[in-house]
Amino acid sequence: MVKYIHQVGLVIMNKNDIKLIVVIFVIVTLSIIFINIFKKTGSFAKVYYEDDLILKIDLSKDGNYKVNGYNGEVLIEVKDNKIRVDRENSPRHLCSKQGFIDSTTQTIVCLPNKIIIKIEGKDQELDGVVK
Amino acid sequence: MKKLIIIFFVLIILCGCSKDNDIYEKNIYVMDTVINIKVYSEKDASDILEKIEELYNEYNILTDRYNSYDDTKNIYYINNILNVGEEVKLDYKLYDLINFSLEFSKKYDKVNIAMGNLIDVWKKYRDSASGIPSYEELNGISSISESDIILNDGNIIKLSDVKLDLGCIAKGYVTQLAGELLESNGFDKYIISAGGNIKVGKKYSSNPYKIGIQDPVDKNNIYKIVNVSNRSVVTSGGYERFYTWEGVDYSHIIDPDTLYPSNYMKSVTVIMEDSAYADFFSTYLFMIPISDGINFVNSNSNIEAIWYGLDGKIYTSSGFSNYE
Repeated sequence: MVKYIHQVGLVIMNKNDIKLIVVIFVIVTLSIIFINIFKKTGSFAKVYYEDDLILKIDLSKDGNYKVNGYNGEVLIEVKDNKIRVDRENSPRHLCSKQGFIDSTTQTIVCLPNKIIIKIEGKDQELDGVVK
Repeated sequence: MKKLIIIFFVLIILCGCSKDNDIYEKNIYVMDTVINIKVYSEKDASDILEKIEELYNEYNILTDRYNSYDDTKNIYYINNILNVGEEVKLDYKLYDLINFSLEFSKKYDKVNIAMGNLIDVWKKYRDSASGIPSYEELNGISSISESDIILNDGNIIKLSDVKLDLGCIAKGYVTQLAGELLESNGFDKYIISAGGNIKVGKKYSSNPYKIGIQDPVDKNNIYKIVNVSNRSVVTSGGYERFYTWEGVDYSHIIDPDTLYPSNYMKSVTVIMEDSAYADFFSTYLFMIPISDGINFVNSNSNIEAIWYGLDGKIYTSSGFSNYE
């Protein structure tokens, strides 16, 4: 490997060679940018039970979902790109009282049910949020 | 042919640039919250994450005030079963944690891990949403004096029915241990998030970790973003821990001198390397006026902080701009 790189330095290049390298470089760079843009599609929510990702929900489509939490069924509602826990079984109902969330900085945590809902999407630029 | 070789290597080098670390993630349900851990690594981090979970579970039991566990001399045991004047040997992990806390609060006396009796009164009113306790009731409670706790060569004795509460330190202390455990096993790129408490290792990309600080008034907003690596970021007084009665917000951080919740600011966020100290200092800063806090932080080179005032004004320490 080291040997070849050394040789590259010694190759006498004409204008066309340089053009070719520039063209390849531009194509590769554009592809990387292209891939990265399209990797992150519209925003979606990930639903976890304990550690396991159990459901991925597209927030652009309204709908109702049912998952199994520690204390029984947890009903999830998606409306106008927002998501909430509609009903669940827990002593204080903290996570259904929380209401709709729509930003990646918010999380719904149903502690007794061990269900976590996180939003991920285009504006995911933060590594974490202190509350 | 030579051209082809050049092209070949250009492509190889470009591909090499995009090699990423894998992300290993775990959620741990302890200490009344969920701890989310992400490790960025080329080697498999599943085993170490199991060990981290054991660590949190172990300290969750040791610091638990509300439950007893078979054969475990935890905080519940010390508070409710241990007789006044009786000496008992503690698990060295709990002993070290209590010892560390008492050493700290000797220097910063607003921080007090023996306020269980006082916290219980406030908790009773908060949980039943039935107003706020009167001064007479607060003044009539049993001891909240740390000097009633005697540590002696691995043993503990209490001199009154004082009750320990490690709520202001347990999470930060274990998170610090978790970070150290990751690093000593060669996993130095990580983020541990636990609500008001975040610890990050070395950066996993060319950029440092971007941490948002939630607006304590409008929870949908981030009022500041900080860029950190090898740091802990800890907030005290976030919106989630308030109790509102007749339009007044009462924080969960209670001043041992006034017996009432501190009310100098909406929130304060501390940035420093050690997560245990960050936990303590954020509590300490929450209990002193902002101007005193700014003077204190500016005279300590290893702490930076940002305050969200009652009037909505933002104050920062002099070195805080290094993280902006």
